[in-house]
Amino acid sequence: MTEGASSQRGARLGEWLFLYGLSILAALVLSALLVESTGGAWRSVVSALIDGSLRKPARWGETLGTAAPILLVAVGTIVSGRAGLINIGQEGQLLVGAAFATYFGFLIGGPGPFNVVVILFFGVVGGALWAGVAALLKFWRNVPEVLSTLLLVTVGGQLVAYGLSQSWLLLAPLADRGNRNQVSSQLADDNRLPRPEIFGNEISFAVILAVVAAVLVSILLSRTVWGFRLRMLGRNPRAAQRSGVAQTRYGATALMLSGGFAGLAGAAMLAGGGFAFGNYQLVPGFATNIGWTGLLVALVAREKALVAIPVAFIFACLRTGSSFVGATGVEGRITDVIQGFLVLALLVPPAVMFLRDRRRSRAAATDRA
Amino acid sequence: MQSSADGLTGAGSLVESAPAVDIRGITERFGPVTACDGVDLTLRRGRIHGILGENGAGKSTLMKMLIGLVLPDEGSICIDGVPQQIHSPLAAASLGIGMVHQHFSLVDALTVWENVALGEAGRLNPASIRNRIGEIADHYGLIIDPDARVGNLTAGLRQRVEIIKCLRRDPSILIFDEPTSVLTPEESVQLFSSLRQVVTEEGRAVVLVSHKLDEVLHATDDISIMRQGKVVDRLLAGDTDAPTLARGMVGRDVSLRSESAALGVLVIDEDGAKALDSNASPDAVPAVSSPPILTIDRATLRGPGGTPVLDDFSLELHPGEIVGVAGVEGNGQRELGDLLSSLVSLNSGSVAIEGTRVPDGRSGAMAKAGIGVIPEDRHDSGIVLDMTLAENLILVDQSRVSTGGVINQVELDDFAREMISQFGIHCSGPDAPMWSLSGGNQQRVVLARELAQHPKVLVAAQPTRGLDVGAIEYMGDRLKSAAADGVAVLLISSELEEILDLSHRIVVMHAGRIVGGMDRANVSLESLGLMMGGVAQ
Amino acid sequence: MSGFFEAVIDIFTSESTYINGALFAGFLAFAASGELVAERAGTINISVEGMLLGGAFTSAVGYHLTGSTIAAMAAGVLGGVIVAGVQAEMSHRLSADQFVVGLTLNILVFGLAGFLDNELEPDTELASRWEVPVLSDIPLLGQALFGQRWPFYLLYLLVPFTWWVLYRTRWGLELRSVGENPQSADVSGIDVNRRRRQSIYYAGLTSGLGGWFLIFGQIGLFEDSVVGGRGFIAIAAVIFGGWTLRGTIAGCVIFAGALSFRLSVQGLGYEVNSELLQSLPFIVTLAGMAVFAHRVRPPAALAQPFVRGLK
Repeated sequence: MTEGASSQRGARLGEWLFLYGLSILAALVLSALLVESTGGAWRSVVSALIDGSLRKPARWGETLGTAAPILLVAVGTIVSGRAGLINIGQEGQLLVGAAFATYFGFLIGGPGPFNVVVILFFGVVGGALWAGVAALLKFWRNVPEVLSTLLLVTVGGQLVAYGLSQSWLLLAPLADRGNRNQVSSQLADDNRLPRPEIFGNEISFAVILAVVAAVLVSILLSRTVWGFRLRMLGRNPRAAQRSGVAQTRYGATALMLSGGFAGLAGAAMLAGGGFAFGNYQLVPGFATNIGWTGLLVALVAREKALVAIPVAFIFACLRTGSSFVGATGVEGRITDVIQGFLVLALLVPPAVMFLRDRRRSRAAATDRA
Repeated sequence: MQSSADGLTGAGSLVESAPAVDIRGITERFGPVTACDGVDLTLRRGRIHGILGENGAGKSTLMKMLIGLVLPDEGSICIDGVPQQIHSPLAAASLGIGMVHQHFSLVDALTVWENVALGEAGRLNPASIRNRIGEIADHYGLIIDPDARVGNLTAGLRQRVEIIKCLRRDPSILIFDEPTSVLTPEESVQLFSSLRQVVTEEGRAVVLVSHKLDEVLHATDDISIMRQGKVVDRLLAGDTDAPTLARGMVGRDVSLRSESAALGVLVIDEDGAKALDSNASPDAVPAVSSPPILTIDRATLRGPGGTPVLDDFSLELHPGEIVGVAGVEGNGQRELGDLLSSLVSLNSGSVAIEGTRVPDGRSGAMAKAGIGVIPEDRHDSGIVLDMTLAENLILVDQSRVSTGGVINQVELDDFAREMISQFGIHCSGPDAPMWSLSGGNQQRVVLARELAQHPKVLVAAQPTRGLDVGAIEYMGDRLKSAAADGVAVLLISSELEEILDLSHRIVVMHAGRIVGGMDRANVSLESLGLMMGGVAQ
Repeated sequence: MSGFFEAVIDIFTSESTYINGALFAGFLAFAASGELVAERAGTINISVEGMLLGGAFTSAVGYHLTGSTIAAMAAGVLGGVIVAGVQAEMSHRLSADQFVVGLTLNILVFGLAGFLDNELEPDTELASRWEVPVLSDIPLLGQALFGQRWPFYLLYLLVPFTWWVLYRTRWGLELRSVGENPQSADVSGIDVNRRRRQSIYYAGLTSGLGGWFLIFGQIGLFEDSVVGGRGFIAIAAVIFGGWTLRGTIAGCVIFAGALSFRLSVQGLGYEVNSELLQSLPFIVTLAGMAVFAHRVRPPAALAQPFVRGLK
């Protein structure tokens, strides 16, 4: 039976590749059509995207630096996803994490490298606490976390904006403000994450942080008892309850961990971001959709932490590339649209394969109808 | 017009020119499994036709084809002589075919009349539906309140709603799928007399699908025996007997006594009141002098409507004994299983192992205290379909294959292989996804896992539901040997035959409490029946 | 403190509070009626935000091309239905995860609308105001309920229609059964996924109308931020209302009240911190869910995809 099995496996792999290829192509063609129909040229858009993300000097370092927080958010989402929880509040958890990082970073104000750790640590704490609100609501009052995390995004945004308007909280003293209204002080040079230069690109230390996190979570989930029990909770909560996996404890932990990763991403953006992320200052709109992108990456990567690494990179390319697209005369928003089409397209192959498998096992029955 | 090959030419019986249903050469394959293999079957009006076979023989699949849920791969179905393609339940209904389902046809949140109306076409007319329900109730004696919420009804009443739902469409062919699992013995008798009325007075055709030999023998006119997807015998009920039917079902000579549970046979002696004992009872009667190992004390659990699902329930189990909890489904058995699985919290009362109280409702507490469970529905709380076989073996306790919080893949693999061989699990290996195993093998995985924990108490809830004779025998043997090893076994089952076959002691559960009990040696079927109906003894 | 109480009384006795409240509640009600139907059939339709925005945009384009508010209404419905189409077909024909599809749709519609808005820049105009004689003179509530622009009055048809459809027709009965126990419904001969798709299309229809109402009955111009997360409040209203129509409308009123309260406070010139106030409706929504969510019972099969034979 093994010969048949391996050729069967080969055929299946071929099917998968074909379906994915077709779907991605469809998404790209649709996007190209959209560009053409509004007077743009798709070739120049593609060229601009590649320029902006990879080709032009110092761009791929920028892309990697953008991918890092996205990956961190994605990894956190995967953790809560495995526990069967739907966290869609990463954007808010990221922001609150960044706010905590800013506040405590300035408050504690220790020596350089120590303070960097403090900043990152409080980023985690902030994000975890914000997710903790949703966890409390869920496990105490049964509020679905999909809604509470979502609503908390707006609430978090408003709270941080409030903080940025008060000098006793986050607002920088008048002298440091430049000509802006709501902005925090800038982190001192030694409070920033190192950005080693490699081949003319500045690569933020956050990149290493993110990749390590992804690998670590992947191992944790697949090889440890904790990861096993988390997966049990996500797949069959009743079996989990019987087996000693308390939904409250494990679920709340997973949700808070998820928020913690998002908060860490926020802190990493603050302390390691450079111009792309507010230049070491907390500003309104700081999160710039990194949270949402990270969530999408996790969903597209089908909750596998290692797969999230290349997916995060691709989404980051779209992001950094989009700033070059405007120069071609096409509205930069097109990359949001491309991203949306791509994600939808990537949902199609697994669905089709699943249905195809079921239909096969029913043989000719459905075809007769 | 009929071929003589079907062998049904009872003298004096009314034979129509075209049979109500004529099934020829029906074959259905699900991947590598052939559920039905060249089935020929003829159903006539004015007669009750029993389709007898063990679980997995193909009876359900065949009925699904008649009701339009499955399309046959080969073969033909003729209704009243006209070949038909039945591709949906609505199409079946328009052909006059109706089925009373065992479980999956009622929506709890809706009322009786809404459920009866479900699935038809045309405008919704509550008044006319209520009228019709009243008519059917009067005619057949199936009284029901049309505005009651189905979720609040007992199992017996819900079956009544199912029957009304079926009769409302005035079917000329009625199919009953394992109808008596939710009925007390008297209710079963009542059901069969209603069926007889339906058939003789109104010239309909009735099919009774069952794995219970006795039932088919006494309630039907024609019998078709199915085994492994084929029809192996066609008989007249009046001309045959239990051993013949048994042989047909299983394919070999069979001792009714030792396989009574699997065959759905109540082995009774001449005067009919007492069930034969010694040969059928388990080998050793345990010493009940040792102190109880499991004590459930006045457990009360209230359901969503406020009515108690467990009502002052008390029970004691001693090591090495098998206690059978008999009773019609829906009287709190499921909640009892849930209680011992840490899935529910009591409103009052307690559970104790060896005198030490076990917190109810606390995750994992019951398992840790030494209570193993083979749950009623393994998909619900017993296994995780998307995990591998090996992973399912360590669901409850990962410590034997892990050190310092990390799972040792090699140890896990070894453990899985050991269990696979010890319990004879058919699979492609430890990494086989759970969903690829058959029901019987999944049950073996559950059994293996629970027994490997060396539990003090083993709860087996409806353990042989959906299993074939071989698997049923195996499960029974395992339970007996566990008891012989000193495990206290709590067998919760709505199949009386199973209870009688395995238990040392029997208690009967009704409306959430124990209404009486007896030792196996002194069983009186009459008392049992009364208790199952709620009459305390 | 007395200043605060005076402020509150001022707010509750000012007509503008009620007018704004009615506008917000009306907008929520358009979306929530459809969302209720979708959820009773078993789907958490998280793309309602995209449906609203899509409907708003297409209605603006419709008016831009034809100059007719009624054509704009049709265009709005079309926009909502197209978004619903993607959600319905992907979730209940292709069995893709309904949350992923919904969230992605929101982002996609947001991107598309913003992109095309920059290209097309549609012109829009508020619809005319219809004052109902006599009724609109009732103090405090009269203008709010009977003195609005005419798109508002569509609600007086839509809400009762939704009630009738859900509770009095066979379609509604089948929808409800599909959301409670799809296995039983399937065995009774109902096409489960088809009903679920239809329920989502209904949500697309009402949300498309809601988007049109937003532009032509309330704001008067299109911007990509015009929905601003309120689609999710509609979902919260359904939960708050225990998945009944009555409760849902009550939820819409209460959540709109919070939104309107904030506007009134600022409008009446009281100096309160604007960011905290802006988050007030969302906090009220969260609090509302916390208080009520545990006591009510969602449809038993909510958010559980149905594939025959997989039980």
